[in-house]
Amino acid sequence: MFSRRFADSVVDRVRAIPSWQVTLGLALLGLGFLIAAQLASERPRVRYTTQERTPLIETAVRLQDQQEELSARVLELRESIQALEQAGQGTSAAIRDLNRQLEQARLAAGLIPLRGTGLVFQLEDSVQPPGPDENQLDFLVSAQDLRTMVEELWLAGAEAIAINGERITPTTAIIDIGGVVLANSAYLAPPYQIAAIGADELYDRLVGSPGFADFVRARQDDYGIQIAYADPDEVDVPAFAGTVTLRHARPLPSASPSPGP
Amino acid sequence: MRRLRNQLSLAAVAFLLGLLVVVQLRAQAVGSGLGSMSSQDLTVFVANLNAGLDQRRQEIASLERDLADLSLDRDRGVVSLDQARAELSRIRAYAGLDPVTGPGVTVTIDGPIDGPGIENLLNELRNAGAEAIAVGGVRIVVGSVVTGSPGGLAIEGNGLGEPFEVWAIGASETLTGSLTRIGGIVAQVGATYPDVTITVTPVERLELPATGRDLVPDHGGPRL
Repeated sequence: MFSRRFADSVVDRVRAIPSWQVTLGLALLGLGFLIAAQLASERPRVRYTTQERTPLIETAVRLQDQQEELSARVLELRESIQALEQAGQGTSAAIRDLNRQLEQARLAAGLIPLRGTGLVFQLEDSVQPPGPDENQLDFLVSAQDLRTMVEELWLAGAEAIAINGERITPTTAIIDIGGVVLANSAYLAPPYQIAAIGADELYDRLVGSPGFADFVRARQDDYGIQIAYADPDEVDVPAFAGTVTLRHARPLPSASPSPGP
Repeated sequence: MRRLRNQLSLAAVAFLLGLLVVVQLRAQAVGSGLGSMSSQDLTVFVANLNAGLDQRRQEIASLERDLADLSLDRDRGVVSLDQARAELSRIRAYAGLDPVTGPGVTVTIDGPIDGPGIENLLNELRNAGAEAIAVGGVRIVVGSVVTGSPGGLAIEGNGLGEPFEVWAIGASETLTGSLTRIGGIVAQVGATYPDVTITVTPVERLELPATGRDLVPDHGGPRL
């Protein structure tokens, strides 16, 4: 009897609460939860950051900025040199021939920005949450993924490739360090855009490759890596901004080409 | 008046709530970038960036010298063929259009390994500073890929026998150290392909052939 009266009074009191107070109460509950979550996620990061990571992250960001500046300077100098060479052509056939050879060599070495037909692929990290026994890194785009894409594009007949503006050359290494990808020692920020110049059949050849099909199955279907492509009228591939100066290799005077395909 | 105050309170709480949701989401997003790296990884990352910066500085110094020489020649009204020939030789050697010689390593691979396994090895060699590479006597250039399954490897249409050699020109000690370090590519290949034997030998002088391929693109031209 007593308990029934008590229950009725509680119900009456609850009904008497204005609806705005209920809304405010719920919102405050959510706010409290978010503040707690934020503090919990920040705490270990702040501890590490203040000790050693902050200076390292700041250094990394500063070095990235410097790298962009130096790359721009390399490209600017190469353009100036080319312009001077062209201006000095004069009437000498020998000089004209030498300049023509220089342009061909620069095209072959990736030192000239290109525009042509081709494809642009984009690879993005998965949005699927990893399961309890799964490695979170498997759900991120890795250097191996980018290398596989580059290899498959070469095999499909691509003639020039760049990832996020970094031209792929004979000396390009694509590596990852703790989930972060570098190419030509430059940091590549996700999403990764792979621009490839090649014939109109490039896409058909690529999707017809068993290696590419295996890659899509293994990464997109199993881990949710997002693979998209565009087929624009023109694709731009920038010039290589790294060094072509060889410190250990010396050119040999006589040319004896290795067997071709 | 009281109604207005209530609405203001609700608006303030909603604003704070929205702000915190955004901060929380951004904090999660940093997880895939530098923010998620350990101190050790960050140190390696910074070292890689520094190596890239050094290379670019050297390139800039070399290009500035070339530009100054060319400008001087132009002012004198002469054209230096020697300088242009040296530049041509440098670029052709880099691209793989001319044969090159120098110190480096010979990597002998014996056993059943597939194309991706060899490509990982080549990537490690490049990362360690290899300036020129040849596989089975074929110069690696833009577009070269080692393909095939164990026992059926090929490079640019040429089959690779067993065993076969990878030649890489660069600093012998650095290349050897990078390949054979604990957890390095040789150890990784050993774990993935237990029947494969990889031997890394420093060499004082290697000779790598030029490519036989025409590397000038047919489907793209200089962007003006």
